[in-house]
Amino acid sequence: MKARKIISLVLALALCVMTLAACGKKTNDKDEQGRTVISVGGWPDKEGTELDNAVARKEAFEKENPDVVIKPDKWKFDLKTFYAKAAGNQLPNYFSVHATEVSQIIDSEYSADVTDALEKYGYLDKMNPDILELVRKDGKIYAIPAYAYVMGVAFNPEMLKAAGLLEADGTPKQPKDWYELAEFAVKIKKATGKPGFVFPTAANNGGWIFNPIAWSFGVDFMEQDKDGKWKATFNTPEAVEALQYIKDLKWKYDVLPANTLIDGTEYYKTFATGNAAMMITAGDYPRKVTQYGMVPDQVGMMGMPAGPKRHVTLMGGTMFAVSSDATEDQIDAAIRYHGTQFHHSLSDAVKDSLEREMKKKLEEGQLVGIKSMSVWNANAESLAYEYDLIDKNANSNPNHVRLYNEFVANCPAEIQPEEPVCAQELYAILDGCIQEVLVNKDADCAELIKKAAADFQANYLDNLTF
Amino acid sequence: MMNTRKKLKRKFNLRDEIDAWVLLLPMVVILYLFVWRPTVMGAAWSFFDMKAYTVKDFCGFDNYIRVMTHTQFLPMLLNTVKYVLWSLVIGFLPPLFIAIMINEVIHFKNGFKVIIYVPAVIPGIAAMLMWYFMYYPDQTGLLNMILSKIGVEPKQWLNDPSFTIVGIIIYSTWKGFAGTMLLYYASLQSVSVELYEAAIIDGAGPLRRLGYVTRPAMEGIILLQLVRQIISVFQIMEQPLAMTGGGPNGASTSLSYQLYQYGFNSGGKGTGQAMALGVIIFLILIVFTIFYFWLNRKIEDRC
Repeated sequence: MKARKIISLVLALALCVMTLAACGKKTNDKDEQGRTVISVGGWPDKEGTELDNAVARKEAFEKENPDVVIKPDKWKFDLKTFYAKAAGNQLPNYFSVHATEVSQIIDSEYSADVTDALEKYGYLDKMNPDILELVRKDGKIYAIPAYAYVMGVAFNPEMLKAAGLLEADGTPKQPKDWYELAEFAVKIKKATGKPGFVFPTAANNGGWIFNPIAWSFGVDFMEQDKDGKWKATFNTPEAVEALQYIKDLKWKYDVLPANTLIDGTEYYKTFATGNAAMMITAGDYPRKVTQYGMVPDQVGMMGMPAGPKRHVTLMGGTMFAVSSDATEDQIDAAIRYHGTQFHHSLSDAVKDSLEREMKKKLEEGQLVGIKSMSVWNANAESLAYEYDLIDKNANSNPNHVRLYNEFVANCPAEIQPEEPVCAQELYAILDGCIQEVLVNKDADCAELIKKAAADFQANYLDNLTF
Repeated sequence: MMNTRKKLKRKFNLRDEIDAWVLLLPMVVILYLFVWRPTVMGAAWSFFDMKAYTVKDFCGFDNYIRVMTHTQFLPMLLNTVKYVLWSLVIGFLPPLFIAIMINEVIHFKNGFKVIIYVPAVIPGIAAMLMWYFMYYPDQTGLLNMILSKIGVEPKQWLNDPSFTIVGIIIYSTWKGFAGTMLLYYASLQSVSVELYEAAIIDGAGPLRRLGYVTRPAMEGIILLQLVRQIISVFQIMEQPLAMTGGGPNGASTSLSYQLYQYGFNSGGKGTGQAMALGVIIFLILIVFTIFYFWLNRKIEDRC
């Protein structure tokens, strides 16, 4: 009897301790041998080239930097889990963030000020100042841009060819403005029976892609008045015209898919499975369509069409941030680690990283050929090497992506970053407008825009807490 | 003298119960960590400004005001009520009806029971995606395929703002009715066969037997089930999340879905509002819950 009691007591206590142990705080930044430990997020969790690459990079780095130990952390950035992780001090020290969400991370003060370390390792004066602006707050830098892109128009060369929109050498006809793009889409639908264009509508993707279109129609979404208050400024005829364009894609040109609830996944799937010939996206999209069996020959890209008022494209990218609870040593080590893949000078480590990345892309069957925008200001050694690698390993007709590469290299359009405050909330509201005009033939665009601007002002801009 | 003896007795009992307490301890700790503490802290923090998940300053009813003055609050409340009403119209009677039918059939009774229970064992998200594709608004959707075979124009299904809630409720009924059905079935089993025999001897047909023997025996559980259904459908969240994203243009956004948006999709700016909305939903549901307990006690007393 007594023994049983003791056993049950011990078991019960053990369970309690185990439950509580899971909530423990992070320990200090040094191991027993005095080396700095940094945890690196987004570590691949499956066997394969990606994991091999990560391990190779870690081993090479630790050999070069005996004072640092890399601790893999499989958590990959996701806004839904980010804040809980951050509040529980469970963030990895070094993790990637999408440009579209980076301002939220910086505003919430969960990323560390890395200005000094970037200065020390020669980043600041070598980076594209426009891109650095995305991660600057009150003069300090809170994340490190790694990849950058501008939006363009992705297309399926086979479908464009069927509609006579592809030259014999594989160069597509570039639509000069949005209305020409719609006409091309009509031709494609006539020739192939498939929707010529797909536009996202859900999970903030609709508003995100709608932004550069609206800008090109002359829309300004918000401005800050003298007292620092933000005002929604898009209850304008220009915004109505831009929304009317989306409505016309469905009801006048009839070039969109039947489904009108399209989130990010559905968006790429629709395009990748040949159920739409064109979409607006970023230069890194080949990695998102390969999983649906799209081969490099079916992947093409060209520049962004102009609008009635402006020719403009949206800039974004991927950043790396250091968690705000990192110590000076950890920040320093994280920037050094960052430098083994992303640096303007071509060290052996950077060279190896670029080659490994290229090998992975080829293995996965991704299109190689798109030269994305660079985070470096000009003539970075590593960039020249990367472009050279792309040329050497191109696995499809280079003319399929030539127009986009030219668009990036010598951009005829203005390059604009995302809206400064409550961008995601704005996207969600615009998603609603876009869904409404696509399901309701009689939707009143002016009324929708008026309500959207009022909602955005009342629900978000008037309630800014940080 | 009397008093001390009573105290002694109580002490003795406590010592006797220590086994039970020790065995309960892990469960109590888990409940404390994952249910009681978050519930109480959530209610308390709904009165504070939050920076993402960090508590800042006391702000009174600010979060509540923000939630209630959100321009979509009333439409979302209305949607939630629509979910509940449609779930009663579509989902309330079928389980009862099927339970009575199964109770009446003689052959293959177990076979029917298994077949009818199948939807309930399919994992939720998989079933939602399956229905998402059945409702798909072009020719690749199963329902539209069937319609085109009989020469009817394809429908928009979940893309249609006036149908989207109905569509989700049809799915939920399909997914959830089997459990309720079993409950009804079990309670039908407990109706004494002799009552039916007596009714038959008195010349009562199937409908009268249903009215005079089955109904009185089932009333209690049917009423309880009604209240339980209202409470559970009022919290509908995963279905719009997985099937429509709350669209088109907010037509399927429920209060709980909005709570999720505040909590996880607002860049940490809506955490306080999420907790305030949680308290608001709690207050609405507590009314039904009190009614449920009152009803439950009344029905148990009657039995």
